[in-house]
Order: sequence, then C-alpha cells, then structure tokens
Amino acid sequence: MHIPDGFIAPQMYLPLYGLAAGLWAYGARRVGRDLDEASLPWLASLTAASFALSFVALPLPGGTSAHVTGVGLLAVLFGPWHAFMAASMVFVIQALLFGDGGVTTLPLNALAMGFVGAISAYGVYRVTPERWRVIGVFLAGWIGLFLPALLIALALGAQPLIAHDAAGVPLYFPFGFAITLPALLIPHALLGIGEGALSVLGWRLVERLRVRYRND
Amino acid sequence: MIQVENLGHRYGDKTSLKDISFNIAAGEKTVLLGSNGCGKSTLLKILDGLVTPSEGTCRYDGEPVTPGRIKQGPLRARFRREVALLFQNPDVMLFNPTVHDEIAFGPRQFGLSDIDARVRHWANLVGVESFLERPPFTLSGGEKQKVALAALLASEPKLLLLDEPAAALDPRTTGWLVDFLAELPITTLTTTHNLSLAPELGRRALVLDEAHRLVYDGAIEPFLADIDALIAANLVHSHRHRHGGVEHRHFHSHDWQ
Amino acid sequence: MTERYVARPSGTRLIQGRPSDHADTTAPTYLPYAATASTEPGAAVHPKVRGEQIKLLAYALATVVISALTEPLWLATALFGVILLAGRDAPTLLRRAILATLAFSAVVSLAYIVQTVWISGTIPWKWLWSVNLRVLVMALLTFVFIRRTNLFAALAFSRRLSFMLVLAVSQSLGLRRTLDDFRLAMHSRGLRRAGLRDRYRAAAHAAGWLLDRALANAHESAQALQSRGLFR
Repeated sequence: MHIPDGFIAPQMYLPLYGLAAGLWAYGARRVGRDLDEASLPWLASLTAASFALSFVALPLPGGTSAHVTGVGLLAVLFGPWHAFMAASMVFVIQALLFGDGGVTTLPLNALAMGFVGAISAYGVYRVTPERWRVIGVFLAGWIGLFLPALLIALALGAQPLIAHDAAGVPLYFPFGFAITLPALLIPHALLGIGEGALSVLGWRLVERLRVRYRND
Repeated sequence: MIQVENLGHRYGDKTSLKDISFNIAAGEKTVLLGSNGCGKSTLLKILDGLVTPSEGTCRYDGEPVTPGRIKQGPLRARFRREVALLFQNPDVMLFNPTVHDEIAFGPRQFGLSDIDARVRHWANLVGVESFLERPPFTLSGGEKQKVALAALLASEPKLLLLDEPAAALDPRTTGWLVDFLAELPITTLTTTHNLSLAPELGRRALVLDEAHRLVYDGAIEPFLADIDALIAANLVHSHRHRHGGVEHRHFHSHDWQ
Repeated sequence: MTERYVARPSGTRLIQGRPSDHADTTAPTYLPYAATASTEPGAAVHPKVRGEQIKLLAYALATVVISALTEPLWLATALFGVILLAGRDAPTLLRRAILATLAFSAVVSLAYIVQTVWISGTIPWKWLWSVNLRVLVMALLTFVFIRRTNLFAALAFSRRLSFMLVLAVSQSLGLRRTLDDFRLAMHSRGLRRAGLRDRYRAAAHAAGWLLDRALANAHESAQALQSRGLFR
C-alpha cells in the first residue's frame, strides 16, 4: 500500500530529499560509467521492467495476492545501483504521472525500497557461496522486502516524535514505533518468503534468456 | 550509394547473414524480401552502421560503414544525418517529451535552421500537426509510426531504411504509407514479407532465403511471378482452401498472384 | 545499368533477375523543406517547455507549503483554492484524489480514533480534520498538476532525464498492457483456481518475460538513439 502525501512531516521528507538527491547524482554517474552510451536506454528499459514488475501479483495462499517489488531480483541481476536508479524512476513515474504514492513520500520510498533494498539484496547475494546461489537469490528477495519495511516502519513511527503540538498531540502520522514495527514487519517477513521464491524463479529464467543479448 | 560485398554476420554461433553482395544506386527504391528471422533487420542495422559485420564490407559513398568508422572516419560529420533507419517498433525510437520536440530533434542535433518551420512542414506532411504538444507515447501505433517517419525525414536524409514499416499498421494507414513512400524523392530500402505491398514499395527486389543468403536480385514482378522462387524463399504458404465447390491445397499468397 | 549488380562467385544460386527500370522518378507531390525567408535559428527550448517548468516549480513550492500546514482552517482554504484551480475538472479529480488516498487514510484514521477513545475517551477531531484535509489537498494538487502539465517537458532541464523518462514510460505502458493479457490469458485458460505452485510459475513467467523484453527493448532502443545521432 502506498503512503499518500500528508502523513510525513516536512522536517523529515525535506532532509530525505537532500540525501536521496546526493545518491541519485552519484548513482547516475555510476550507471553512466559502467555502461557507456547505452546506459540511457538501458536504464529506461530497466525502469519500465521494474514498473511493470509492480503489477505482477505475488500469489498468496487462498487465492489472494500482494504486489511484487522486484528490487531484490533487479539488484541480483543488474547490480545495486541500477536497481536503485530504476526503482527511483519508478517512484517518480508513479507519483507524478499516475498519482500513485506521494511526492513527499518519494524520497523515503526511494531510499528504503530502492537504495537499502537493492544494496542489502545485492550484499546478501554476494556473500552467499557460489554453490548456494539459489539460496542467495531467495534471501536477496526476502531482505529486499523486509529491510525497507523496517526502515519505513521506523520513519512512520518517528512522526509523532518529530511533529507534535504543545500538548504532545501528533500532527502527521499518529502512531509510534510500538505500533508501526509489528504492523509492518510481521506481514513483510511473510510476504518476503513469496518475494524470495519469485525472485528465484525469475532469476533462473533470465539467466537462461539473457545470453542472447550479450552477443553484439 | 551503397556497396555491399560478401557480407556475413553471426550472432554467437548463429549465422544471420551469409555472403551477401549487392549495390544500391542513388534514387533507387528497393524492397528487401525474406521470411521471419532470415536476417533482414540485421542487414538494415549493418547498413545503418549499428552492427559490425563479421565478414565482408559495406560501403556508403565508397567509405566503409562500421560503428567505429562512423564515430571517427570521414563519414563522422554526415552519416547519421544522411542515413536514417525506421525501426520496426516505433516505441524504441521515440524519446522526446512532445511530438514537436521529437520532430525537432534531428534538425537541432544536426544544426539546421528554421526548426519550428521544419517541424510544422513535416508534421503537416505526415498529418500529425494536431498532436504537436502531446507526448509521443500517448499516440496510437499508426500515429507513432508517422511521428517517427517525420522525425527521421526532418533531418532530410538521403537514404531511408525501413524495417517492416507496415507490419503494425491498419489497412488505411498502410495505404497512406505506400503513397507517401512512393512520392518520397530519396533512396529507400524497405524490408517486408508482405507480397502484396512489396511491388508498391519498390521496383527492385532483394530476396533473402532461410539460409540467410541473397537468392534474387532484380526487378520485382518476375520474382513475384516465379512460384518456385517464392516457395524457396518461404514467402508463400499452403493450406486447405476452397475454389467454388473444390477443396484442395496449393502454394499461394493471399495478396499476390 | 547492369554493372551495379555484382556478379556472384560461382557455385552460389543467386538468381540474377532483369534489372528494374529503377529510376523511380515519380513526380514528387511534396518537396523537402526548403529554408524560407526567415532564417533565424530555431529556439533551443520550445516555448512550451519553459511554461511547464514554471508549473513544476509552482507545484513543488505549493506542496511544501501545504505539507507544513496543520490548522484545519488553513487547509480548508487551501482545498478551496486547489478546487478553484482545478476548475471544470474539479469533480473528476476530487473523486480520483479521494479514491487514491482512501484506503490508507481510512485505516490510519479509524485505528487512531479507536486508540484515543480507548485511552482518553475523546475523539481526536482536530487531528482528523487536519490530516485528512491535508492528504486530500495534496493528492488533489498532484492530480491537477498531472492533468495540466506535460511532465516530460517540465523535466526537460535535463535532456537525458527527460529522454529516459519518455522511453521508460512508453515501454512501461506496453509491458503493462501485455501483463494484463497474461492475466486474462490465465483466466481464459481456466487457470483461475490454479494451485499456488502454478500461480508462482505463471508469475515467474511474467516476471521473466518482462525482464527479457526489457533487455531486448534496451538493445533496440540504444541502436535507435545511435541511429538518430544522439551519441555523435
């Protein structure tokens, strides 16, 4: 579920924008350096894939489903910086073109799901030994969902602390850590299992497919 | 204008073109015929200097065309302006915020004057003048194709390469495209596997077979009348159908007999 | 005329057809653009772009200001102002703004009401007004901005950023359309009540297909940009 604008105080989202802007600038250079002149269309296509991935339903038992983030899969396949930049562009497109999710929550989403999600997923994938690659991809999918949920729970839970009136009544998101942490972490720990499984399946397919595009 | 000699291309261990030789003179309108996967698109990309051939050479005005040569060689200043390729999927080539910017991109890139007047001129010719402020991807497939065509022509290329330009068009837009291309006073090389369109897109045919070789080079009508050659190039099909009360099968195309 | 058709090395089966009378000189009914009387160079930035950039800036400023408001009265005034700005589109956009924010706002609001009633026996009216109005105004403002602005033109201060966004969005729309077809095809084939395993396979197939398509598009698109002279 997207957090709409109006729940995050400017005291938090403005500094986060500053932090995100720095990482975007650095990420743009990283992506450009790794990929020469093809980086522009390449990142565009990755963004499109990552946008469309968010429409793939993550099957849950009982015929229900949730949405995939795919950040872990993208980080494993294309590296953390590409995944971060593509995910950030997806948030821009969703917020400013389709009105899904807010512009003030954008830096939080980009930093949590894009940056931390991609870096942690890639890190987990890299530290797993070669012969346990499948487990590495699974864990990458899981942590790429779980760790961002933790950060978002912390950011939401901090709202009553950073923005309240003289009487201590919250002005933005009203619940503290005691509520946000269990409310987000328990479901995401479980959803992460599905995301991890899907990451493994998607990773296997792509490893087989992409040999074709390395040729010229 | 174009000289291709013993050209070959492989993707990994897969051959996509084998020993192709032909010339194209300025002003010619040529059709490149072949079934799916015979190497037509790859040939166009080699001619456009996007893909390096594995064997043989391709020359434009006597100068070898390869991605590296176009960046540094004597063609550097003019090749990209003079040779334009219309991709099969217009989505991959439209990247500007508005249709206006899309058409203006080439002229700006190549330092031409009168940008706005040029944009209006080409938009009017292809009939997209009412969408100038819209983002290209909000248009329909046929409109995108027209915008892409206008965007390429605005740089006033001398050679236009078209990859299956009618594959995704409805009959009316296809008709429009055929007329438009016929009246275009520049050299064109158009790929297609649609035999009914082929004779309208050029008088000369180059035909690739499934072994990725050039099997025919010459006037198009005799080729289209030669059923054995058409069968060999996998350009006609055979299935059950009726003639009055008789049902049988034979090789034919639905578009050209 | 025939010398243009290069003879093939012997042993190959090239059919050398009769050369076409290739001088296709149909009288052109159109002429290539010829420079007209005015020879001043075209504007580097399309005038429209500047206007769109101003709108983006105004939207960003308004967003920051509204997000800092906590008094329901001010927020109500802001809502009135944005509704005026929306003009004739106000009913549609208001509906979209409400639908887009309803789920999250309602869950949080109800939970907060329950919590405060439980703890202090009061309903947090001021919080309810202030937060829900703020969420609504900001969403409405965003929808008005989307309706009135060409985002790609607004972001054209960085040519590459705007190119990339256009490519990304146009491909996204194509991919999403096919994904919808995947879903419909699954229903059509009666896999609606498929087991969890099959649904995972289908989802992974869709994800794999997406990434494969993205790789192919990236490749094509890089060539198209090169062909159009972007990386000269």
